[in-house]
Amino acid sequence: MRVRSGVAVALVAVLVGVSGCRSDAPEAQQGGGDVKFDVGVTKEPCPEAVDKAKGCIYLGSISDLTEGPFKALGVPITESQKKFWKRVNAAGGIGSFEVDVTKYVKDNKYNPQIHNEVYAEIKPDVLGLAQTLGSPTTAAILADLKSTGVIGVPASWTSAWAFEDVILESGTNYCFESMNSVDFGAETLKAKSVAALHFPGDYGDDAAAGTKLAAEVNGMTFTDIPTAPGQENQGAAIQKLIAAKPDLVILTTGPTEAATIVGGAAQNGFKGQFIGTSPTWNPALLKSPAAPALTALYRQSGPWAPYGAETAGHKALAESLDQAMFKAAPNDGYTAGWVWSYPMKAALQKAVDAKDLTRAGLLAAVKSLETVDYEGMLPEAAGKFSGEPNERVFRQSIISKVNPAAPTGVSVEKDFFTGKTAEAHQFAKPCYQ
Amino acid sequence: MNEFVATVVRGLGSGSIYALLALGFVIIYKSMRVISFAQPAFMMAGATLVSHLVLSMNFFLAVLVALLLTALLGAGVERLALRPMIGRPVFVIAIITLGVDIVIRTVVNSFIGLDIRQMGDPWGLEQVGVLGANIDQRHLATLITTLIVVAALFAFYRWSRTGLAMRAASSDQEVALAQGVSVGRVFSLSWALAAMLAGLAGVFLSTGIGLEQNLWLTALKALPVIILGGLDSLGGAVVAGLSIGVVEALVGSYGGDLHPVFGGDFFLVVPYLLMLLVLLVKPYGLFGTREVERI
Repeated sequence: MRVRSGVAVALVAVLVGVSGCRSDAPEAQQGGGDVKFDVGVTKEPCPEAVDKAKGCIYLGSISDLTEGPFKALGVPITESQKKFWKRVNAAGGIGSFEVDVTKYVKDNKYNPQIHNEVYAEIKPDVLGLAQTLGSPTTAAILADLKSTGVIGVPASWTSAWAFEDVILESGTNYCFESMNSVDFGAETLKAKSVAALHFPGDYGDDAAAGTKLAAEVNGMTFTDIPTAPGQENQGAAIQKLIAAKPDLVILTTGPTEAATIVGGAAQNGFKGQFIGTSPTWNPALLKSPAAPALTALYRQSGPWAPYGAETAGHKALAESLDQAMFKAAPNDGYTAGWVWSYPMKAALQKAVDAKDLTRAGLLAAVKSLETVDYEGMLPEAAGKFSGEPNERVFRQSIISKVNPAAPTGVSVEKDFFTGKTAEAHQFAKPCYQ
Repeated sequence: MNEFVATVVRGLGSGSIYALLALGFVIIYKSMRVISFAQPAFMMAGATLVSHLVLSMNFFLAVLVALLLTALLGAGVERLALRPMIGRPVFVIAIITLGVDIVIRTVVNSFIGLDIRQMGDPWGLEQVGVLGANIDQRHLATLITTLIVVAALFAFYRWSRTGLAMRAASSDQEVALAQGVSVGRVFSLSWALAAMLAGLAGVFLSTGIGLEQNLWLTALKALPVIILGGLDSLGGAVVAGLSIGVVEALVGSYGGDLHPVFGGDFFLVVPYLLMLLVLLVKPYGLFGTREVERI
């Protein structure tokens, strides 16, 4: 009996030892065109391959798809990315490979723990993440992304991403966007005072930090009004806003909260102007009782122009989407999903050109990107991923105004610009830290 | 002063919604001794029905039809999912209500969609002057409707034969059965009433900007309300609901003036702090029945 136990223990020890020695990464293989690859790339074609002779690059997507607070964005982002890569594949793919973003799509319910779990599930099968939605959720997997060199495209705009090599962000962040909005308010709207009305966390706090910095530069009075999610929770924020009477309010909330605040403040005679970051807007608000107030008082800042703009990228997006589906629930999540995909395409192309499509090869390709062709949706300079954050951070943003006739209810008022605050800001750390 | 009045009325408006939700919890608890976690689902179902019905009928008629349908849904859930479980541990039944909540909300969410649905209510964001303060009409409408519904509910319990039967079943099911009370019917009626009240809460919660999927989270605020008021006290649910609504609003507006710690979103934890404080002094809540236990 004792001998059997000894043998069993020895066997378990050997198994543990062997599994401990095993590397997670499979051995590198050679594909078409002598490209070296390992995880998440196969010689076999993609499930819905256009050209069956090509190999497949699998990218995962972790988004808010069913019951989280940002599903109204997550669903169109994911759909738009599927269309983006379908177009890439139809146009010949990436070298001797096509890209699949449909097989490993997971729902994070905007919960960091779930995000981590589903990431662990798909990690052995994907080269990188075509989408990792949310700041706190992405933060939950960031350590692993860094240790394994997995590139992730974030569906969020916090200023912390500029300090992470494995994060492939696009457009400016909430901090610089808010700086530009305040500069715009000071110059164009002649605002003398500004309030940051925001959710807590790296979304709202990042924008509030940018607002405060720009208020100081412009010599404006600054009021900080944090608020909690939920339209029924905005009463106190509205009261504080009315009491402070700022000329300009930088909003970083969700859409229903934004409408409640703008509508409620206007009902109380508030005359200040609002500029909300892109997640504060939903065109469906134009059917709400807050529509007149939004039309009169609200502008939207954004890292790029909304759906329907006249760039080649915007046109390609519109041509790729099922228009009936878009019109049923028009949303700039489609635009965001499309824009976010360009740097991943550029990085994959660069890695294939360098004949190294391993995770390490893709990371090296990302770090060497100097420009990205966004087909006009963003300037090519927005695709600089080499160098220090202060050198490479993209500082330009756009201001849009409410336009009920526009596809997503907003149209560009001021095209890409960098305000004086953003221009001069030394970006040495995330703004909210 | 004007701001203070506006804050209190806003708190009473929110508190009315908590009270309506809490009443549903209490009604079911009184009849079955079970806490039903399906109330958020009924709340969303009622609001969603109204948002669809208003496309083809008057808002008030839509509310009436929606509440009747929600009541039927509540009774149906009790008959199909809960009645077969009678005699099982209450913990098991409570877990089943959690499942019911998830199933109904998943179905309801598909009817809400990703966007914000409009309720077509006559109040919108309009305001009215009360004691020199600007008050949201919807808050006032919520408060007045809640008071009328609560009065009707209390009258029903106090003076109607069915209400008497419900009180009897709540007091002792076996004795009630012996007296000819259909306890099963009492269960069904309790669930129908609870669902209807939750649906009404959902309707008022969605007035203003509109209905979206995440509104169900508000229903969870009814939990500290029922603990504070007492699990088996209808009056306690109303008093606690209104109190929590007002305290929450006051802390939200003035908490930061007292100390920065009480500013920001501190008001969100106020219901739970109040609940904990009261539990320390009165473990059965402010108006709950003290249980006699054999030692």
